[in-house]
Amino acid sequence: MMELRSKRLQGLAARRLLLLAAVVPLVGCSAVVRGQRLSDRPDETSRGVYLSTGGAPRPYQTLGFVQVTGEGRTVAGVVDVGDAGLDGVIRGTLAQEASKLGGDGVIHIEFLDENPQTDYERLQQAAQTVNSLASGHGQVEQRRRTVVVTGEIIKFTQ
Amino acid sequence: MSRGLVVAVAGLTALLTGCTAVNTAYIPTARNGRDPFITSGDIREPYQSLGLLQVTRKGVIIFGAIDPAGTDLTAGFQEMLPRVREMGGDGLINVRWQQTQYTALARVFSIFLLGMLPGEVTITGEVVRLRRAGEPARSPSL
Repeated sequence: MMELRSKRLQGLAARRLLLLAAVVPLVGCSAVVRGQRLSDRPDETSRGVYLSTGGAPRPYQTLGFVQVTGEGRTVAGVVDVGDAGLDGVIRGTLAQEASKLGGDGVIHIEFLDENPQTDYERLQQAAQTVNSLASGHGQVEQRRRTVVVTGEIIKFTQ
Repeated sequence: MSRGLVVAVAGLTALLTGCTAVNTAYIPTARNGRDPFITSGDIREPYQSLGLLQVTRKGVIIFGAIDPAGTDLTAGFQEMLPRVREMGGDGLINVRWQQTQYTALARVFSIFLLGMLPGEVTITGEVVRLRRAGEPARSPSL
């Protein structure tokens, strides 16, 4: 009896979440992705790899070009796993690649989180997961995340 | 009205309106210190980087014309401005943008998709704070 009541309550909660999830797209939602600061201009500290979405602060030689794709997954609309974070890709992988080529920096960095999740989409994923678990299917919703970053690797000549 | 007539009218409308989609955002900004400035290029003034910012707005375009969620360039840029201020920035540089665009033909034929088309706009950029005269450099950025 208790088990039946518990299942009914779970089903009711899932239905409410699904109803909410159906209404929200008409209102719309926005997803905001933030990344840590890059290098200042002029870069008076001159430590580490120079990273900028703009040009170089002094004369340079181009060593090459790089593109990094970080992939990850959002599980049940709540947990982000993998390497689809802006900071990990730019400050980690991109800077490492520049160092490998003997570069001092990466300029003209362009970035795009290709499928950022709005609050509505996270809610929808959570609702579908709750609904699936409540109905005994045990399926946890997952969604692929991808961050693409490109840049020009340079070496300062002065 | 028969289905054939609807298709014929839709086809004629598409032929008359062409296949180019144009969206323009009028966002006049200036570096006067009051409102955040936005530029797709670099700037010459010294600045401090405050971080990267991406805003994506998603929604549904109804009957190819009604956009209640605001998924166009103007809505995207308008959403960026207060967020730049929230981060303590004076402006946004090296901005890039992308919006889902539909030709007149696609908008007309959306009636066969329950009148709904997915819409999305994404704006990215680097938030910066202009360095004031005599202001000391801060700790290493990396």
